[in-house]
Amino acid sequence: MKIVVVKPERCVGCLQCRFACSVAHSLSNSPYAAPYETILSKPRIHIGLSVNKEPFPNKCRHCDPAPCEMACPAKAIFRETSTGTILINPGRCINCGMCAMACPFSVIRYHVYTDNKAAAHKCDQCILRQKEGKIPACVDVCKSGALIFEDYNKIMDKGTDELASLVYLGIREKEQGKSPYPSLMAYKNILHEIKRR
Amino acid sequence: MNVVIIGLSAAGLSCLDTLLRFSPDTDITVISEEKYSPYCRCLLTYYLGRKLQEDQMTIKDISTCPANTHFIFGERVEQIDTKKKSVILSTGKEIVYDKLLVATGSNAIKPKYYGEEKRTFTLRYLDDAKKIEQYIKDKAIVLGGGFVGIKTAYGLFERNIKVTMIISSPYPLSMVLDERTARFVERDLKGLGIVMRTQEDIAEIRMEKDMVHISLKSGTELKSDVIVVGKGVKPRVDLAKKSGINTDLGITVNEFLETSAEGVYAAGDCCGAMDVVRKTPWINAIWPVAVEQGYFAALNMSGAHTPYPGSIGMNSLKTNTFHLISGGVLKDEEGITIFEKHIPHKNQFRKLAVRDNVPVGMAFYNSPEDAGIIINLIKKGLPLTVDPKKIVNSEVSLMDILKPL
Repeated sequence: MKIVVVKPERCVGCLQCRFACSVAHSLSNSPYAAPYETILSKPRIHIGLSVNKEPFPNKCRHCDPAPCEMACPAKAIFRETSTGTILINPGRCINCGMCAMACPFSVIRYHVYTDNKAAAHKCDQCILRQKEGKIPACVDVCKSGALIFEDYNKIMDKGTDELASLVYLGIREKEQGKSPYPSLMAYKNILHEIKRR
Repeated sequence: MNVVIIGLSAAGLSCLDTLLRFSPDTDITVISEEKYSPYCRCLLTYYLGRKLQEDQMTIKDISTCPANTHFIFGERVEQIDTKKKSVILSTGKEIVYDKLLVATGSNAIKPKYYGEEKRTFTLRYLDDAKKIEQYIKDKAIVLGGGFVGIKTAYGLFERNIKVTMIISSPYPLSMVLDERTARFVERDLKGLGIVMRTQEDIAEIRMEKDMVHISLKSGTELKSDVIVVGKGVKPRVDLAKKSGINTDLGITVNEFLETSAEGVYAAGDCCGAMDVVRKTPWINAIWPVAVEQGYFAALNMSGAHTPYPGSIGMNSLKTNTFHLISGGVLKDEEGITIFEKHIPHKNQFRKLAVRDNVPVGMAFYNSPEDAGIIINLIKKGLPLTVDPKKIVNSEVSLMDILKPL
């Protein structure tokens, strides 16, 4: 199952994901017309600044089991079984605020976006774009690689491989005691190779 | 495996869903004393406020359940035979189980003048809401200043009914909030047009010309169509008690939510599971906790031994003008430090109670953005990694709190 994975250390805080998200969820689906719609489309990804002013992209993790799904008394929050995405049915939402209380990552906001009533509002992993065969809009525009759309296990595998190669090269360098340059080049090549997988 | 679930509300339904998801070959029998298909009690106040129709309150379509699930509606369980492992219904029918979930829930606490002839109702079942709907015209009195009382009052207010709240304590939500936070809620509700009479109680009720006439303790006379009572709930443990299962505050359970009888689990409002903050068995009679306990009970039934981490009392109150999220214990006790911050121009108020650097209670008024993280820190008993003053000032992001953990 593919999900959007956030790598906060790569984020530069350009907020392009927020813009792309709003456009992708607007009615017109166009960056020129979206700001003039009656109901303004709001971004579903939030960038918070830490104490050290580091940006942190924060979006729905589509947890399993999902605390928001459990807390929702109206059963407006449900899991789409084919993609494992947690979705909100704004028609059923009664705007009681329980999901914001239950969410451990604080990604749920309340906005008016359909049916002319306020409802819970969060990332839907661009489920409509995915049906067209596209990847989520925020991942599409992220230039720094802070947002990745990939199978969760595959990402974990890559991370493990990167760390393993770094440790291996470090040990080799310590034993051989040569200049660090060949090791750095080797590491760079390995990272490229892992990234291409 | 043969599972019997008593009660089809939050805990029972969540247990059913989890069993269907993780062990689909289980034979499940659900016994519910209600005649309606499963609905959510939390929505009753919205039903009274005419925001929802009756069919919108159904939260599970039972016709979609697989064939190995059986539903028995409108019948009560009279006795649990823990030795023979069977339950006996009111019709005399006996059903054998391997694993049993007792999710009997709780009953609303009724005052002594309760009754349809006195137009006094609690709001616990759909039938209660229908009766209120039948008698209400343009005036209502809500007794009790808890979450149910306030949500009922707000629901009725939204359909232009004159609501008077009668609260015996000096401020609303006195069981969960401290005075300063509660005053914000009081101010906002009064600003909407809901009349609030604090430190008052009903002395006498009499019926005159199809209206209830109420004399308050202070001597004031009020007239109303109905009285809705929201004075809290009391766990229904009588079934477990007469079947020889240990009960205390609620049904006594171990960390796997199993009762003193083997193969019998309890979940929901009747289950006295551990409270994380109080560190004693406690009943937090709220919907999310019941769903969570039903989920853990189902996991333990199906053999995945997962200890239940414990619950905290939490609630969310959202109206057109404010959103309050509170959780844990906010009492000013020994060893608890309180941090608070009022930001008038944003109409925000944040309050955090910390014991030994572990948050134990919070109340966030008009700032739902940061509430979820803190609630979950309280729930998991995790220490704060940043200065609590910065949290109430809203100067931190999720990364500051979660990264060092």
